[in-house]
Amino acid sequence: MKLRIAGLSALCIALPLLAAVDTNSPAPDFTLQAQSGKPVELTQFKGQVVMLNFWASWCGPCRQEMPLLDSIYKKYSKLGFTMIGVNVEPDSKAANDWLKQTPVTFPILYDTDSKVSKLYGVSGMPSTVIVDRKGTVRMIHRGYKPGDEEEYLSSIRTLMRE
Amino acid sequence: MHQVRVLVAFAVLYALAGCAPIQPWVKPYEREHLADPIMSLNRNPISSDYIEHVFGTREGAHGATGSAGGGCGCN
Repeated sequence: MKLRIAGLSALCIALPLLAAVDTNSPAPDFTLQAQSGKPVELTQFKGQVVMLNFWASWCGPCRQEMPLLDSIYKKYSKLGFTMIGVNVEPDSKAANDWLKQTPVTFPILYDTDSKVSKLYGVSGMPSTVIVDRKGTVRMIHRGYKPGDEEEYLSSIRTLMRE
Repeated sequence: MHQVRVLVAFAVLYALAGCAPIQPWVKPYEREHLADPIMSLNRNPISSDYIEHVFGTREGAHGATGSAGGGCGCN
C-alpha cells in the first residue's frame, strides 16, 4: 500500500516533466506557417542539421542573439545546415515590426497558438534545440548570454561532420 | 478502523492534488506582458541597489532584498 502511494505520488510529480523533449530522443515533427506564407514542416529538413530557436520580440536576449544566429546561418546554410526561428508570440505584429528593423535571412515560423512550444516543452526564453541529420535532438540550450554562440557553433560543427 | 482508513485515503488524495501541475501557469513563452518594462518594480535598478545598500546598513529591520550587504553604507 505504502509503495503504491509512493509510486503514485512519484508519477504525479514526474508527469509534467516527461512532456518535454529530451536529448537523444527523436525531434517531434510539426508544421507551421512561415513568414513567406507557406507551411513548413520539420521533416522536410531531414538529412540536414537543424537548429530551432524559440524567440519573441519582447525577449531581450533573443533579440541580442538574432544577428549572431543569422551570421551562423549564412556561414553554414550551404553545407547542409538550417536555422529555423520559431516565434512564440500569439500576435506576430510586434515580431514582424522588429524583423523589419533587424532582418534575418533564415526562415521564421509563427507558433501563434504555442503548439510547438508546448510540444518541445520550452522552459526558457530563448530556447535552442539542435537536431542532427537523422532527426534526433542532440542539444537543448536554455537562455542566452554573450558567448553562448560558441556552444552552438561547436555543436553544429560536430553534427555536420557526422 | 474503516473510517480512519477512509479519512487517510481522503488526506492522501488531497495531498496528491497538490502535486498536479498548477493551472494556469505562465510558461516562459507566454511572458510577453510580464517581460514588459512597465512590470518591473523599479525603473532604475542600479541606483535603487545603492539605496537598498544604505538602508540595509542603517536599518536593522531592512535588507535581504538582493543588494550587497556589509560596509558602512557611505558609498
